[in-house]
Amino acid sequence: MQLDFSARELTIKLVYYGPALSGKTTNLQVLHALSTEETRGRLMTLETKDDRTLFFDLLPLTFKSDQNFSVRLKLYTVPGQVIHASTRKLVLQGADGVAFIADSQASETRNNAAAFKDLKQNLREHGVELGKMPLVIQFNKQDLPAARPEAEIIAQARRGKEPVFCASAVQHRGIVETFAGLFFLTWRSLDRVHGLGSRMGFDERRLFSEITQRFQGQRPMRELLRSAHTAEGQDLSLQVEP
Amino acid sequence: MSQDRLFPVEPADLEETPRLEHLVDRKGLAELVGSLAQMSGVSIRLFNTEGTLLADGSLDSPLLRRLEGVPAARAALSREIVQIKRIDPAGRAERCSSLTGAFYQVIAVDYDHRRMGRAIVGPFLEHPPSQVPPGLAALAPDLPLDLLASLPLLPPERVASLEAHLRSSLDLILFAGHKSLLTSQMHLASISANYRELQDRNARLQQAYDRLRELDRLKSNFLATVSHELRTPLTSIIGYSEMLTEGIAGSLTEEQHEFIQTIHEKGEQLLQLIKNLLDLTKLESGTLSVQRAPTPIEPVLRQVVSTFLPAARKKGVVLELILPPDLPPVLGDGERLRQVFLNLTENALKFTPVSGLIRLSATLVSAEDPEDDDGFALLAPSAEQLEVRVADSGIGIPEAERSKVFDAFYQVDSSSTREVGGTGLGLSIVKRIVDAHEGSVCIEANQPRGAVFVVRLPLASP
Repeated sequence: MQLDFSARELTIKLVYYGPALSGKTTNLQVLHALSTEETRGRLMTLETKDDRTLFFDLLPLTFKSDQNFSVRLKLYTVPGQVIHASTRKLVLQGADGVAFIADSQASETRNNAAAFKDLKQNLREHGVELGKMPLVIQFNKQDLPAARPEAEIIAQARRGKEPVFCASAVQHRGIVETFAGLFFLTWRSLDRVHGLGSRMGFDERRLFSEITQRFQGQRPMRELLRSAHTAEGQDLSLQVEP
Repeated sequence: MSQDRLFPVEPADLEETPRLEHLVDRKGLAELVGSLAQMSGVSIRLFNTEGTLLADGSLDSPLLRRLEGVPAARAALSREIVQIKRIDPAGRAERCSSLTGAFYQVIAVDYDHRRMGRAIVGPFLEHPPSQVPPGLAALAPDLPLDLLASLPLLPPERVASLEAHLRSSLDLILFAGHKSLLTSQMHLASISANYRELQDRNARLQQAYDRLRELDRLKSNFLATVSHELRTPLTSIIGYSEMLTEGIAGSLTEEQHEFIQTIHEKGEQLLQLIKNLLDLTKLESGTLSVQRAPTPIEPVLRQVVSTFLPAARKKGVVLELILPPDLPPVLGDGERLRQVFLNLTENALKFTPVSGLIRLSATLVSAEDPEDDDGFALLAPSAEQLEVRVADSGIGIPEAERSKVFDAFYQVDSSSTREVGGTGLGLSIVKRIVDAHEGSVCIEANQPRGAVFVVRLPLASP
């Protein structure tokens, strides 16, 4: 997080992490497509010849819920392939929240687990414990026939700590929800540490409302967060005022 | 840290939006702005946020040239320009009018929701002038109306399209510049990460290497101690067996004599092996002194040949020595060199079958690689060497094995049933002694069969 008082803006870094070809870039492309023009910046992709991500993708989103302050979100993806280990680590540096994009296909279970361990290790090398990092998990590619069934994923989500979203990026399903969940957790975490609301006067309700207004469908935060599968008593949507 | 100085770009820089002038090529920008000005017929200037002119697409204006010549008008126009330059549009653009009745459009140049600078388009007129504005007429009387009409005419929709065009061109240029900036930052950052990783690995390798060297030193120390301790009792064994064979302790039966003789011979063999081990460890640890002085090679080689002549005759092998007259002395230690050629000749004799031939020869050669004659005139005189060749007609050494035979304990045939004995120390000692003489030793094939050991030694300075 960077707070620039002179420019009156708050910059938050969100990273989309996950195994190769799980749809991290597609997540950003969908968010870009579904957001309004005044909010989104150009989606920047530093890609290789074969259209795979070389260094990262970057989608800047800017929100001005407040006359005085603007909130800038920088959404990054990391390259999934094993060879780009050092780049992944670099992009992860200074992240405020992480969305882990997993591939729902049963055959990818092992790759998902390996990438998750990689995330944990890389965070640790930056001196951050995974448990302290705002984190949501997305099971993408739910549209594929070989995808693990949603019921199975929900059952596991109930036993885990992180909110889990089922998604299909190509069908634009679950993408804004994942982003909303990631932003919500990150915001609350930064607020706890830096007193964004109490000390700096950010109006959380207005910001949440502004953000959700900027995406197609304009569904309120509470509704978006209802898609998150969580453990008993951890329901994200109940943590937001209606 | 030094590597941080080498690679100052840290990924934290990714979060910073750079300045306009860092993202674009100034000359290219000036060309773009100039060509847009030419195309639209109106002056365009581009400033950064601090008001520094980055690109000047000013067109010649007869009106402004004329007004330049009128001090009062010039002063008023300068004040006006200063004011216009200060305008920072609250929205996307702001329009202001000039005392000439023309307009200036100040366009905000934003990138990623941040102000990067502003473009000033103008002066231009929206309608053809009907009269010289009174304010201007007061400053510059007699100003003809047609001079005022020479200002470009730009209706609002043209201004809007010019603004949109300028905005989208600049946005694309800034985006491309930003993208390459980030790419190069990431390249640098990953090189830096790889560099650090390699440094870590190097440090680990160095540690492992140091540890191995230490182990090697311990091994040499151990060998030296053990060899020394082995020698003492062995001397007694050899001494007493010698006394027994001489009959000092009473007469022996023939069988007893034969047994004692065998004990004595094997004791001598063992002593030789221990001496070799001791030499090798001394050579390895650098404690074996090589006293280099001008040494004629002929007596050394003659002595070697005479030592092995009886054994060669016994085996039915011809041993010959070929020496040209007047060989210059080498810079070497006679005793150590004798050891070199004793080892090589013994080795040759070991592997040469009955009716074979062993030939020792010496010649003067140039040390230079024949293919590399750079500076030959300078280097040749100092590069003469004495070459001693020990050629046998034995089983030869396969090319792949040639570099390994000089390793301690190495045997080409390492099977337990090999025909020829030996510890594999002799050639290793040869190599170390020759190295200590700044010479070289290598193996060539002999024709039609066998091996040639080629030793080259530096000459003593004349």
